[in-house]
Amino acid sequence: MRVAEQGIKQRKFLGLTGNAWTLLMLGVGAILTTADFILAFFYTPVVYGAGVGGSKMIGGVVVSQQLLFSQKIFYFHVPVAIGSFLVFTFAAAYAVLFLVRKDSNYDIRSRTGMEVTLLLVMLTLITGDIWTRFEWGVWWAFGEPRLTTYAIMALLVVAYFVLRAAVSDDERRATYGAVFCIIAWIDAPISFVITRMIPTSIHPVVLRAGGGLTGSQLLAFLLGLFGMMFTSWAIYQLRLREEFAKVRIDALKEALEG
Amino acid sequence: MAKISSSRQFKAILRKDIVMEMRTGEMLTSMGLYAVLVLIVYGVALSQAGSSFDVQRIAAGLLWLAILFTSMLGLNRSLVHEKDQGCLDALLLSPVDRPIIFFAKATGNLIFLSIVEVLILPLFYFLFLSGKPMGGPFWLIALPLIVGSVGIAGVGTLLATMSVNTTGKDFILAVLFIPVMFPLLFSVVAATSAILISDPIAGITFADAFWKSLALGAGYDVIMVLAAFGLYEFIIGA
Amino acid sequence: MAQPPTTQLALEVRDLSRTFGVRKALDKVNFELPQGAFLSIFGPNGAGKTTMLKVLSTLTGASKGSAKVVGLDVVQDAVELRNRIGFISHNPLLYPDLTAQENLEFFADLYCIDEAPDRIHELLTAVELDHRRLDAVRTFSRGMIQRLSIARSLLHKPDVIFLDEPYSGLDPHAMDILDSLIAQVRDQHTFVMISHDLTKGLELCSHALILAKGKVVLFAEKEAIDPDVFSATYRQTVGMGVS
Repeated sequence: MRVAEQGIKQRKFLGLTGNAWTLLMLGVGAILTTADFILAFFYTPVVYGAGVGGSKMIGGVVVSQQLLFSQKIFYFHVPVAIGSFLVFTFAAAYAVLFLVRKDSNYDIRSRTGMEVTLLLVMLTLITGDIWTRFEWGVWWAFGEPRLTTYAIMALLVVAYFVLRAAVSDDERRATYGAVFCIIAWIDAPISFVITRMIPTSIHPVVLRAGGGLTGSQLLAFLLGLFGMMFTSWAIYQLRLREEFAKVRIDALKEALEG
Repeated sequence: MAKISSSRQFKAILRKDIVMEMRTGEMLTSMGLYAVLVLIVYGVALSQAGSSFDVQRIAAGLLWLAILFTSMLGLNRSLVHEKDQGCLDALLLSPVDRPIIFFAKATGNLIFLSIVEVLILPLFYFLFLSGKPMGGPFWLIALPLIVGSVGIAGVGTLLATMSVNTTGKDFILAVLFIPVMFPLLFSVVAATSAILISDPIAGITFADAFWKSLALGAGYDVIMVLAAFGLYEFIIGA
Repeated sequence: MAQPPTTQLALEVRDLSRTFGVRKALDKVNFELPQGAFLSIFGPNGAGKTTMLKVLSTLTGASKGSAKVVGLDVVQDAVELRNRIGFISHNPLLYPDLTAQENLEFFADLYCIDEAPDRIHELLTAVELDHRRLDAVRTFSRGMIQRLSIARSLLHKPDVIFLDEPYSGLDPHAMDILDSLIAQVRDQHTFVMISHDLTKGLELCSHALILAKGKVVLFAEKEAIDPDVFSATYRQTVGMGVS
């Protein structure tokens, strides 16, 4: 009885198997993210060098403690934002591969990528929302380009899953999913560009007028970026393993029926 | 063997859709009636807003909302016909290139949408905008309408072809359509606002607001309709 | 591919497989069918009959193997092949709000047929619907719709005609009409038919094929078939229906 050997084979990369790498990545990711957290909140100098505690006059503008705190979110918000689009690209690439080769493995990878994208987009929205709350005292701002774009991106990713759930035929579900994934992937950056470039009346686009990042700030940022990337990759791999295990079970069922 | 003429095939599909619509009038009456109902609901919503409320500020948004929902109604119906009698298979079995099916369907949808827009626009004007000063020449409103409609028809045809094959067709179309249309909607509402609002945000000229938004919307059209066209043949055979 | 189509085989199926994920719709199907033959395909639900027909009529592609219809590959020469095949289904594949004539005109345009009006008139007369040609199809009876459907499929003078359970839903009178129409054009075309009706299928065919779970269970010429053995095999296979 032949069992379909699909999915991740037990290859060794630099002396470690796939499973080992995943756990390593997860560990490294967790450590980096924690380090980033500690660094961001306790050690990184705040923007404009202002101290934490009470209000201060900086550049003719009163800056309160709240405003400074909100800047810390930056170290999480931007990495997850960047990461979500990176993973999205990854998922879209597999979608393209699926449409060209019609191999259902690509579809599984694409869908799992979209799951991780969903997670990251949600985190982006939450951290972005916290940022907005601290900066402008409101929970949402429709004219704010970043928030709106991420909200749309979240809707696109959710729409992807709603579409998949509504199609009964397996192959059609995969095909429609892949096509929509690609359309959504093209739509997201367009959304970003358009919301930035069209002036709205509510909140003018606040561009962070603060030169480059100093040493420890850059370190915190990079830690966040890499920590998040490693963790995401690990989550993706774990989820993928789960999916391929399901596929093997299905194959066994098919073989038993014959 | 007969020589295959793409234009003959294109015209045949387009003509068939138009003739069928003229005969049943199903799509246009439902779209037209729906649009009128939406305008009536607007009237109700605004009736409590008070006389000092400046409806002009949100007029562009209201107009495009009506167009958006009306178009979703029309898009689904245009494809339900094919699916019903299995006619889509007949189309696919014939030597028609899949892109031609896309263009013919999208063009048909564009024509029907335009007809409905021509009906809604004067009604909208008389109900909400008569006698008010405009930010720009009113006839220019044709431009964002064209840009918006092309995008709606092109991308909408792709999405409707998918949604018609799902359980819960209209709902699925809405879920897919609105996020994907968002950038286009954003730009055409901005462009239309430039015309309809007489005192815009300080520091932004009419030319800047209008032409810039229009150009961005046109950019959306070019990219997304091309993408829809390229991806269509994958879903039509599925 | 500049090769002229061979005149020997209507169908040439080699190791045709169609899988998606773990589901195998077709599994290494092999057979050949000469021109002018009538192939009846039998099998339980989910056996892959419709998939087979879809692959042969270029509606879907194959995962592995190849299939050639009148010498043209179903994937590579698909566009050219569509000119040479016709399809009759239990779905009418007609537009109810158009008249009979408009329906045929539409399909004539799709196939880019020369001198369409004459051809349409010829076919409408052959299926005895000329007197109703200006009536909307939604006013037709099931039998009339089936007749028009046949006219539609013959417009472009195809070499091979695929039939997907054409008798289902027809009353006996309509069935007779369908029989006589097929008999009229029998010798000019090759037929491939899916049917659940064992007697009918065997009666009309020159070759028979039984599919189960995507595999070929039996393929033989009619003369070589012992009716009792065939019935037994058929019943046994149908009993193996996929859940």
